Amino acid sequence: MDIRLLRPSDIPLIQHANLENLPENYFLKYYLYHALSWPQLSYVAVDVSRPAKTPYDYPKIVGYVLAKMEEEPSDGVQHGHITSLSVMRTHRRLGIAEKLMRQSQQAMVETFGAHYVSLHVRVSNQAAIHLYRDTLGFKNEKTEAKYYADAEDAYCMKLDLRFIRDQIKEARDAELAEQAGGEKKEDGKETEEAKNGEKTKNGSSGNDEDVDEGAAVGDVGRDPAKGRKKAVAAAAEKEVKVKVGRALGVGELVERVERRHS
Amino acid sequence: MPQVLNTREANLFRTVIRYYEEKQYKRGLKAAEQILKKNPKHGDTMSMKALIMNAQGKSEEAFALAKEALTIDMRSHICWHVYGILYRTNKNFDEAIKAYKFALKLEPGSQQIQRDLAILQIQMRDYQGYVQSRFVMLKARPQLRQNWTALAIAYHLEGNLQQAENILSTYEKSVSAAPLKTDFENSEAVLYKNSIIAEQGDIERALEHLELDGKNSLDRLAAMELRARYLAQLGKNPEAAKAYRALLDRNPDHPDYYKGLVDALSISESDEAALKTVYDEYAAKYPRCDAARRLPLDFLTGDGFRTQAKSYLTLMFNKGVPSTFANLKHLYSDSFKRDAMPLVVDEYLKDLKSGNTDGKVQANGDSSKGEGAALYFLAQHYNYHMGRDLTKAMEYVDQAVKLDSSNVEFQMTKARIFKHQGDMEKASAAMDQARLLDTRDRYINSKAAKYQLRNNENEKALTTLGLFTRAETVDGPLADLIDMQCIWFLTEDGEAWQRRGDYGMALKRYHTIYNIFDIWQEDQFDFHSFSLRKGQIRAYIDMVRWEDQLREHPFYFQAALDAVNLYLLMHDKPQGSNGVNGVDGKTVNGDDAAAEKKKAAKKAKKEAQKAEREAAGKSAKQDPNKATALKTKEEDVKKDDDPNGLKLAATADPLGDAMKFLGPLLQFSPKNIEGQLAGFDVYMRRKKYLLALRCLNAALSLDKDHPRVKEQVVEFQKAVEPVLQSLAPKVQDVFKSEFIGFARS
Repeated sequence: MDIRLLRPSDIPLIQHANLENLPENYFLKYYLYHALSWPQLSYVAVDVSRPAKTPYDYPKIVGYVLAKMEEEPSDGVQHGHITSLSVMRTHRRLGIAEKLMRQSQQAMVETFGAHYVSLHVRVSNQAAIHLYRDTLGFKNEKTEAKYYADAEDAYCMKLDLRFIRDQIKEARDAELAEQAGGEKKEDGKETEEAKNGEKTKNGSSGNDEDVDEGAAVGDVGRDPAKGRKKAVAAAAEKEVKVKVGRALGVGELVERVERRHS
Repeated sequence: MPQVLNTREANLFRTVIRYYEEKQYKRGLKAAEQILKKNPKHGDTMSMKALIMNAQGKSEEAFALAKEALTIDMRSHICWHVYGILYRTNKNFDEAIKAYKFALKLEPGSQQIQRDLAILQIQMRDYQGYVQSRFVMLKARPQLRQNWTALAIAYHLEGNLQQAENILSTYEKSVSAAPLKTDFENSEAVLYKNSIIAEQGDIERALEHLELDGKNSLDRLAAMELRARYLAQLGKNPEAAKAYRALLDRNPDHPDYYKGLVDALSISESDEAALKTVYDEYAAKYPRCDAARRLPLDFLTGDGFRTQAKSYLTLMFNKGVPSTFANLKHLYSDSFKRDAMPLVVDEYLKDLKSGNTDGKVQANGDSSKGEGAALYFLAQHYNYHMGRDLTKAMEYVDQAVKLDSSNVEFQMTKARIFKHQGDMEKASAAMDQARLLDTRDRYINSKAAKYQLRNNENEKALTTLGLFTRAETVDGPLADLIDMQCIWFLTEDGEAWQRRGDYGMALKRYHTIYNIFDIWQEDQFDFHSFSLRKGQIRAYIDMVRWEDQLREHPFYFQAALDAVNLYLLMHDKPQGSNGVNGVDGKTVNGDDAAAEKKKAAKKAKKEAQKAEREAAGKSAKQDPNKATALKTKEEDVKKDDDPNGLKLAATADPLGDAMKFLGPLLQFSPKNIEGQLAGFDVYMRRKKYLLALRCLNAALSLDKDHPRVKEQVVEFQKAVEPVLQSLAPKVQDVFKSEFIGFARS
């Protein structure tokens, strides 16, 4: 397992992982749009123990977080948004989703000065809600009715990122103190403050049991029996709101931005 | 001579442009008609009308009209510009570039034409042209930083690193005020320049630049990683070690950082104890970190390995981590480790039974933890090709299922074992059973569909997948899967149709995949300008380089190889004219169904031919030159006139059709022997002996003991020797030096 930044060359297999795992899917261009607009924010989990089959193997993606900055925040506050988060069923219970999220949140603050991060989650997705609320500390802001294409409601959740700003400041102060305190320490030992700062960052979040994305993290599918009815309902009201992803279509997204600037 | 408009109509012409830009096509057309009523030969208006029609999807008529406009007014940049745009929307970028260049010659100051041309040039990787265009654009607006960066990018991609750096530096010197710390464009430009310095090989200068100019980079991770790498490259070990430690504190699950740290600490690869100390430190520091606990298994040997394996597996089993085996199977290339694994697991099971575990298993009825996890691991162990014993694998998985018959992973593994036993029917049924245990999970749904495809149950698989595709897609699950570029399904579905003897459907799927790769290549188009505005230059460069190698992806390789091999088969064993059910349709459908299908196929073919005749007639009337090909291609996208691939299967020249797939295969994956073998087969049948020889040589250098390579050597000898005398003397020389050389070796 390797947690690292997403690269453009990962995208076909990210798309593949998403298609295998989640009902909401996107064109390749939509992933590209994220990877090229906010390349610091999206992370992948890679299965590094697969023996290579060809000389041209691409790393197998077993989880990823696709994140962005809100371009025109309605509240005027810089903030990030999680477009999609997914961990393969076969790779759960390793805390991958949590690790991906934490990396992304860190970069949102460092690179883009985000004040908070928001996301949508299906109201039925207990495992994901557990991760966001109990492990990562998100708060439920409101419910958006019929947010998904199949007419399920979404919780709109938010996490204040002030704690990361504070950590960054602490670390910077510690660094300055270290520099001021003489250039003697060259042996790689850190100051006590810096260590403490990091511990809060990566350490346990007061939850003794390891984070467990036991069931699907991200969005889960629909029950086929129920799905039938819902499908009919969705078809009946054609203009169901689908804010995420392909309903917008990347072509339009890109063009829209283009026009604004030209 | 072009007609001159009076003031009223000149104003009207401007509104036509505005309507077009605002996508109010009907109004735009109406206004254009008004002008044309009085000035029927006004080229610019005709062109604008064509442009609007093109936007409405009537590309055929648009082309005809734009061409007419051009013959009326060859000196109009608008006419040429529109002509270029039409080519561009039809993805014929080469022709578009030509048209734009004409337009630019007539209107050298037009920034819009220049910008459009530049984008086309970089899309087509005309680096010299791109440098030229960006140079002109920079001269026109040097106050924009974007224009400097863009020219640097042009030089960079062209391979002129020195010049790229100079351009960036020139801009920096021209700015007097220090950039703000929050200026992202600046922060990124600095890191971009840093990457160019490093790419030139001057690591010392790169480090210096990074520590000075890149000190406040907003992309903290990139700055930290680059610094650590430079320090290591320069042999500044204590500092490098510190830098890698800082990175590990950010992300202790990134193996590269451990490697960087270990190297910087100059620990030898054989000093297991010292290595382990490093990892143990992070395992203790970060209780949730997996890498620090797992990676030592890679280098530990003997008892050290056994102890670590025991503690790692115990932890994983107690937690019930389903990927435990998947995360360790790379160890199996070491036979000691492979053999040690099941012993360790047995020990764990024994400890468990005797209640003698140090770990606290709180399975609480959760079968994926404790005993269930261990049995699951053993089943996978004996199912894996490097330790395979399928009888044992089945025993363990049955024990696991007995423990909990509702566990999806157990049931899934059972299906896999059936597959390895070669019983796809049982495997498919078992995987579907696993699916039913959790119908809300798309992963197991996908797996079930895949197994159905492996068992040639195409229709059933589509129904299964349809439980998760978008319900509102009008044309059903297949349309949604194509729309969403679901390569795995298209490949498996094509292969299954091929096994069933329906070559049309198989080819249809392979061609669809080919087209998806075309789309992926075109997807970069918008980003040539978009990324400059966003200022994310390094990511853009990454993307360009990846796109250049796009078709080396195994997704492409697999589908293309399937297609080439199918075309070879079709060439060697020509089927009935429609190519459907040629092999044994009845195994799938029964005799009646097969006959019916044949009838339907015949009818479809007739209709297709009729449509083709009509289309051909229409285009012959309107447009005699090569734009025709484009138009028909576009129509295909809009309305599929060959949904079952009947036309594809009815090809008279399968080998010619195979070339479309084979070209990129050989170009981008030359080191894959399967591609070279297929290339040889195609070229031999086309009697292109030199090209066949090239494939054969490549295959020989990859694996001269490959049984098929040996066969091909013999085949080549047999085929070429009798005809050698009839070939041109130069060709004979090549054969003699190249072929006889390896034939002896």
